[in-house]
Amino acid sequence: MTPNLPELLMGNLIAISTPPPPESAGEFAGGRIGVIGMISFMAAQEAEKGVAVRVAENRAIRALFADAVKEGWAPSLASLDALAKGEDDDLTLSGVDAANATLRRALIPLHAAIEDAPGAEGRAREVRILKLLREGAQSRALSLPGM
Amino acid sequence: MTLADQLGGYLSDLWSEIVVVENLSRIPGGASRETYRFDAVTKTGSRGLILRRDPADSLIDTDRRVEYLAYESFHPLGIPTPEPIKLEVAAAALERPFFLMSRIEGGAAASPFAIDPYAPHAATIGEQFFTLLGRIAAADPQALPISTVCEAPALGACWSRELAHWERELDKDELHPQPIARAAIRWLRRNPPPPAQKISVVHGDYRSGNFMHDGAGRILAVLDWEMAHLGDPLEDLGWAIDPLWSHFETERVSGLLPRAEAIALWEKASGLTVDPAALAWWELFSSFKGLVIWVSAARSYRDGGMSDPVLGFSGWYTARRHDVIIAERLEKLLADRMEKAA
Repeated sequence: MTPNLPELLMGNLIAISTPPPPESAGEFAGGRIGVIGMISFMAAQEAEKGVAVRVAENRAIRALFADAVKEGWAPSLASLDALAKGEDDDLTLSGVDAANATLRRALIPLHAAIEDAPGAEGRAREVRILKLLREGAQSRALSLPGM
Repeated sequence: MTLADQLGGYLSDLWSEIVVVENLSRIPGGASRETYRFDAVTKTGSRGLILRRDPADSLIDTDRRVEYLAYESFHPLGIPTPEPIKLEVAAAALERPFFLMSRIEGGAAASPFAIDPYAPHAATIGEQFFTLLGRIAAADPQALPISTVCEAPALGACWSRELAHWERELDKDELHPQPIARAAIRWLRRNPPPPAQKISVVHGDYRSGNFMHDGAGRILAVLDWEMAHLGDPLEDLGWAIDPLWSHFETERVSGLLPRAEAIALWEKASGLTVDPAALAWWELFSSFKGLVIWVSAARSYRDGGMSDPVLGFSGWYTARRHDVIIAERLEKLLADRMEKAA
């Protein structure tokens, strides 16, 4: 996802260390500090769970691809076979994010193909993909401090 | 030369008298225009004004002429809005285009992420909020100044024009693949809504947090018309009741009223009827549009050297909120479809 954690923390530093013009020094600067604080609050959550969330999502997508290949969900699934066999070797945030981008890019046309597939089998697969997407989104969600 | 000096010089030329700008202060919130409050002081008195200036980096790219003409359109109709004073499209005076409007005193806008910000006046404010939106929907756009710069789509083309616009924005600004947004686009295209009942002015960002209230139950001003356009009036209703703007509530839309009450107020004020299927389309579209705005914010944050934390916040926290909202909607829509088919 973008922006990523290093960018956000670097951005916080830039925002704090840039002196505001006089007309932005009062209420506006106060609001800006509040936003910086919220980003920092959520950055702690992302530092704690960010890699684990992406690894879990990547694993779920690979498992989906493996079943899609095995069960012949759609034509031209050869490229998914290699992706299904992949692993997250680079466990930095940027590493698992890059792998996630590759997997998501491949998931989009598979999902579209499944939507076009008729019958109960197609719908069951569509349910599975939407569940995967919803669970992935929920696991990435961040909490704000109470306001 | 400071911004206050530049502004004072501009107003002195405009009003043909010496104007000194005092108490110039930027107002937090919003990332599509820089907003400042100030006092324009002449020898005869002082006038409270607002400056809306184009930013260096924006959350959304909008035409300040449209926003200005929206104020020109609705201020005379009694929709509470600031009075527009002057639009300046040339960049010479203040380095970027800007416009001026009157300042409304005695109120504040709630943070869209505050918990129960309108208590104990939520119901009273909600009645005004949805009635005002209905009145905006009821207005004849062809009689309004905004129609000189906004093209009216055909009744049956409102949805496709908006969807195509926001899909293009996603294509332009997407940095990380967005399978949920792409699934939403496909659903929206496969399940178009019926033609609009009428063409209305669509505020484009009518929601909690974009109006000022006096803290005692009265809406003082509807603000932030920068995404105004002509289209299906249900678009605004769908956006206003998006879960992102519910203040984390599930029982009251916009943190103000139960959904059925809000819709009934809108119908009464607009003279229009809400087709549930059509509104469901515009609700999913609104969440998709929101997500694209946050994707664009993330792009602007990175391209702008990560200097604006509001863009970073929008491109991160709110993007993830809308991802969840859309995914849950898509699951429910599929479940409903399968139940019907069974």
